[in-house]
Amino acid sequence: MRKFLKFILNIVIYAAIVGAIVYGLPYYLTKKLGTNYPIAAITSGSMWPVLHIGDLVLIQKIAKEDIKVGDIIVWQNAKGLPAGRQGFTIHRVTKLSEKTLVTKGDGNFTADEPVRYEDVLGRTLMRGKDPLRIPYMGYISVWAALLRTN
Amino acid sequence: MDEEVKQNFWQKMTKGEKILAIVLAVGFLFVFYIALDANKYQATVHVIAGEGKVGVNPTTERLDFGDLSPGTSAIRRVDIENGTTISMYVAIVNFGSINDLMTINKSSFTLSPGKKDVIEFTVYMPASAPIDATLTGRVFIFKIPGPWR
Repeated sequence: MRKFLKFILNIVIYAAIVGAIVYGLPYYLTKKLGTNYPIAAITSGSMWPVLHIGDLVLIQKIAKEDIKVGDIIVWQNAKGLPAGRQGFTIHRVTKLSEKTLVTKGDGNFTADEPVRYEDVLGRTLMRGKDPLRIPYMGYISVWAALLRTN
Repeated sequence: MDEEVKQNFWQKMTKGEKILAIVLAVGFLFVFYIALDANKYQATVHVIAGEGKVGVNPTTERLDFGDLSPGTSAIRRVDIENGTTISMYVAIVNFGSINDLMTINKSSFTLSPGKKDVIEFTVYMPASAPIDATLTGRVFIFKIPGPWR
């Protein structure tokens, strides 16, 4: 009986650890970074070599007046996606104007269409000059996106 | 003396441990064979300044994409043939700094006995490519016997 109770207790402890990581970490980051989307996976090579496919980056909320040219920001991009699906673009700010801003992927030759400030979700968390990135941790999202498109 | 120790070691193992040891040994040999049999290529590309400049080096031993300026791309193809009598599961794995710029038309597929196929590797040089840099990598084409496929 004691062995069985110990076994159950171990399962509860492991479940609590997994739950804390899966639910607690995003919740903590949401509070800490002030955005509902604190983690983003890089699914394209448009920001190479600063960001690589499969990287995981952290996003922090940013006020309109704090955005500068050269910042790498995340904005909501519904273009080309089925209704109800959200897409996000992580590109560098190249131009600021009163109502909109313009971004461009470092690896792209053309700039994106102007983005409204209300569509900006945040800026990548920086470590020195470069964005803080966790290599390979974003591959789960990359594979999930591939499965969705297939 | 050594033989005695070995015999004792084998004899001391339970039936389950012996089965597990045999399964592990067979598994290891299988993985070793697949790794040894894999086609291995070195991939390389050199970034040059300018617009629309491409210089391809036609070597067959390497996946050499030559010199590419930002905005250009090069394609290299690898022909693969299954000369055996069983189906092969082909899986392509690539590593290295060239990895981010290289796309492969198919990452895995099944090749029936006697059939041929072509794997296409494309390198596109983005606007942010550092001029005069040489990006390299390794490409492994694993052929895994899969008669059940």
